[in-house]
Amino acid sequence: MAINLNNSNVATRENRIGSITGYIGSLKDLATQSECGTLKGCSRCFSQSSSCLSGCALGQLGAIRDIAIIHHGPAGCSVAAAGTYYIDKVMAKKRGVTNKTVYIGTDMNENDTIFGSTEKLRQIILEVNKRYSPKAIFVSSSCATGIIGEDIDSIVDEVKEEIDVPVVAVHCEGFKSRIWATGFDIADHAVLQSIVQPPREGVKTNKINFKNFFESARPEIIEMFKNFDLEPQFLYCNSTVEELSHLSEALATTCICGTLGNYIGNALEEKYGVPYVRSINQCGITGFETWLREIGKVTGRSEKIEKYIEEQRAIYIPKIEEVKKQLKGLRAVLGMGPGYTFEVSRVLNELGIEVVWALAWHYDKKYENGDVPPSMKYLLDNDIDFEASVSDQQNYEVMNVLHKYQPDLYLSRHPGSTVWAIKNGTPAVYVADEYMIFGYKHTLDFAYSILDSINNRSFEKNLAKRTKLPYTDWWYKQNVGEFMVQDKA
Amino acid sequence: MAELRQIAIYGKGGIGKSTTTQNLTAGLVEHGKKVMVVGCDPKADSTRLLLGGLAQKTVLDTIREEGEDIELNRIMKEGFGGTKCVESGGPEPGVGCAGRGIITSINMLENLGAYTDDLDYVFYDVLGDVVCGGFAMPIREGKAKEIYIVASGEMMALYAANNISKGIQRYARTGGVRLGGIICNSRNVDRELDLLRAFSKELGTKLLYFVPRDNVVQHAEINKKTVIEYKPDSNQAQEYRNLAQAVIENTDFVIPTPMTQERLEEILLEYGMMELSDDYKI
Repeated sequence: MAINLNNSNVATRENRIGSITGYIGSLKDLATQSECGTLKGCSRCFSQSSSCLSGCALGQLGAIRDIAIIHHGPAGCSVAAAGTYYIDKVMAKKRGVTNKTVYIGTDMNENDTIFGSTEKLRQIILEVNKRYSPKAIFVSSSCATGIIGEDIDSIVDEVKEEIDVPVVAVHCEGFKSRIWATGFDIADHAVLQSIVQPPREGVKTNKINFKNFFESARPEIIEMFKNFDLEPQFLYCNSTVEELSHLSEALATTCICGTLGNYIGNALEEKYGVPYVRSINQCGITGFETWLREIGKVTGRSEKIEKYIEEQRAIYIPKIEEVKKQLKGLRAVLGMGPGYTFEVSRVLNELGIEVVWALAWHYDKKYENGDVPPSMKYLLDNDIDFEASVSDQQNYEVMNVLHKYQPDLYLSRHPGSTVWAIKNGTPAVYVADEYMIFGYKHTLDFAYSILDSINNRSFEKNLAKRTKLPYTDWWYKQNVGEFMVQDKA
Repeated sequence: MAELRQIAIYGKGGIGKSTTTQNLTAGLVEHGKKVMVVGCDPKADSTRLLLGGLAQKTVLDTIREEGEDIELNRIMKEGFGGTKCVESGGPEPGVGCAGRGIITSINMLENLGAYTDDLDYVFYDVLGDVVCGGFAMPIREGKAKEIYIVASGEMMALYAANNISKGIQRYARTGGVRLGGIICNSRNVDRELDLLRAFSKELGTKLLYFVPRDNVVQHAEINKKTVIEYKPDSNQAQEYRNLAQAVIENTDFVIPTPMTQERLEEILLEYGMMELSDDYKI
């Protein structure tokens, strides 16, 4: 689907790439239906709380150094500000840089809602610019401004004449998509619209755009890429507006998570011809090697990469094989975003662990280029199948699955989810860091983490013994999809 | 003391809701009734004839300029025959949210104690098309329980009336809101009376009153007066008195049965268009 950077509004994932939040069946069915286009999502007649896309959008943008976010809405909408400040400060400190990004809420009140408040917004933008001298200003809508049709675009256009740095409207009304990952696309769209410049003439670079969350593996990836005469440009955490303005000059774009990187990867390819590396991700042995080889292919460095793979295999494969012996036969359930669920499923399969049920918090039928997500294609091509569901962090469904299947292990990437498993007495691995299974070394570490979790079960056992979960026996006897309702075609 | 009757007047934009409401109010005043008129239109022109001009400061403008700690007399003015006049007001065209404005100002009226025990009638004169939830506020939460739709024999007026009935039907299911009838503000189209009767019957209600067309209404408007005040002895003044009497005596309140677009067109064809082709002359 063509990406339209002339329009400040991004279509939702549901709209653009047929994403869904409700499904129950098997992985094979999910993938097959995605490929032939028959997949229809389900709604729920009962739903637990979920997340808001504006958190994803503004969380991403807020991680850029020395910018300003102006969240135009009632005070409560700026709830993400505290988290953004915290992450910014911690991540900057960790990296040894400073980040002066500010997150401002416009504190819209009843009168502003009735009469509109674009004039106030204009004053706030000008004042923020004067007071903080940010390198870019992102002006975000909220549900309230979305409903009343506040004309943020016009105000942004007008103040551009008075402000030297990029000012951009970011449309993230929470109600427009059930899929919070739409927020990632909205952030990318804003950066592409206002920050990224066309490549400078005559500039040669060895950079690879690397979209990730918190760049924890930054030092080791820089070191690894030196072997191939490549240099990663991580985004958006701690990146500068100047760095982002040159994303169009890179040799390629890659990402740690397909859900996170899909929009900007495809857009940079479509608009500037920067190849987007569309392999399975770097988790596990096959994932890492497939990804490296793809990097080699698009940058013309296959020889160096094959050499690196050979060296590293010699170090790590025997160790991984050794620990695998102790993992064989374990049964696991996992619940993650779709960018990880089907990648981690592959790694578990690689380690000899049987996936009995995988939950993805949403599911993208196709990526921006029209293909089924590579992680799905891989599982399908390799005849790996298991029960799968799509569930936007509906904890009651996770608990139903855990109760029915009594797996040896539950894995999740989202805070809180693993806690519930532990209360259920199920050992759990919190795959918090996006690089936790990156490459050979971390795959080995990951295998050991699993081993540790299942060998030391006393915590889970004792906690479960003393915890009364709120679910009734009735619920555990129901089908996982009891509250799902088939959407109309 | 009789129970307060809260009445909402709906109808297509430009059909004459404000003119009818204010003349009806003047008629009720002559019957000795205490009436409050609440204009629910950002244009704030629902009380002009009762007040002798647009001197009124709207509820929303007052809140905006003076904050929420205001006295009732800042937003309520006394008009013809002691009627209490309030204009909700709203944003400029194209900005903000007029619907939210109505919700806010009606809540404010309640908080300020505008609904006093001495009132017999409260009228809500609502913007033509009920475009969002805000414009349905007067018929929600136990406010207006009685609705009259102003219509004429023109197709779009009936189309709007049918649509409004769908809204009434929705709120009637959960609340006590009922349709009291159709008031025809005549446009002198062919067989208008028959058409309006048939239309009302199909909706499950009745044609409450047929107000004929008379230029005196226009003259009174230019003079910022109701017809009853401007020309008390005119025929039209008597028509509005009769309308007031019909409202006072009305006890038929129904949940409307809106019709399909096809059925509406059938009725129009039967009473309107047929005549046209018959009368075709060069």
